[in-house]
Amino acid sequence: MTPLVELRGVCAAYGPIEVLHGVDLALMPGEVLAVLGPNGAGKTTMLAVLAGLHPLTGGDVFVAGRRVNGADASDLARAGLCLVPEGRGIFPNLTVRENLRMASHARRSAAQIEVAAYERFPRLADRRRQVAGTMSGGEQQMLALARGLATDPAVLVLDELSMGLAPLVVEELYGRVGELARTGVSVLVVEQFARVVLGVADRAAIMLHGCVVDVGPPHEIESKLSSAYLGG
Amino acid sequence: MNDNTQRIEQFRAEVADMRLRDPATGLDRLLVKLGVVGLVTGLGFGVAAWFISHGTRNPLQQRDALVVAVLGLTIAVVGGALFVKGAMAQFLRFWMARLCYEQQAQADRLAASLAPPGNGHDEHLARH
Repeated sequence: MTPLVELRGVCAAYGPIEVLHGVDLALMPGEVLAVLGPNGAGKTTMLAVLAGLHPLTGGDVFVAGRRVNGADASDLARAGLCLVPEGRGIFPNLTVRENLRMASHARRSAAQIEVAAYERFPRLADRRRQVAGTMSGGEQQMLALARGLATDPAVLVLDELSMGLAPLVVEELYGRVGELARTGVSVLVVEQFARVVLGVADRAAIMLHGCVVDVGPPHEIESKLSSAYLGG
Repeated sequence: MNDNTQRIEQFRAEVADMRLRDPATGLDRLLVKLGVVGLVTGLGFGVAAWFISHGTRNPLQQRDALVVAVLGLTIAVVGGALFVKGAMAQFLRFWMARLCYEQQAQADRLAASLAPPGNGHDEHLARH
């Protein structure tokens, strides 16, 4: 089976400082792949490169079998590669409803988007007229996820879904991600909160110092995590 | 692992039809460089035209110098516009990023001031 997304020897830099040193990773159709690693491992940069938000300095990115180096982020998003960024990326001064309507660049109407989002996250329906920046962190993350899902993505890329959230909220959000994966959406998730994400992942990878150092089934990766993080 | 063959096929088709462009940042830099070259070249044409017109009493040659001067002026104006456009694009990009960040920070401060201290809002939501 051809991978839906593949990174081959990807290198990226911020000015003169190289932060990705030849990342190799493949996401198969319908798979949930978790990428784990400590702060500064290059996880977020890798996602930015994949989503077309950061230029490569080496290697290749393949999406649906096509080399897409230098592709515009908006083109990738329109095709169905959806990134829910670290820090949620919602518009804090717009209401929940207005934030959801931002996803209408996809094929759906604003009304359809709202119906789908409220069905998936009923709590957002109660807050549809509330300014998003005044909601709790968990609700803001739900909104970010709902807005991403409203675009009917083929590949969902999640960056640190758990950041700043209570463990119960994280479990609830990953429950929704698991439900989504069962519908056949391929999910690439980058996370520091290993325990919850390994529960929904089909495969996992460890990223350290700008390289993917290990890929395997979640139970194997879980056993290697502490030594990888502590350098043992 | 699950499969949603129809959506995946649609995705493959859309990616295959996608038009790939060069990264915009490279184009911006090229335009700024072209603008600077145009600006300098245009001014050079103007100076050259002045010397041509003052070095002769032949009216035909002086008219040629006028043409060179107007050409130089045009090149300088176009080059200047390209330079300003490129420089402004870079400046506005940072300005917009700063504005987004400040808005986010302001919203966080507002949310923090509205929330009663230590109410554990997320935990409360998770229980319901």
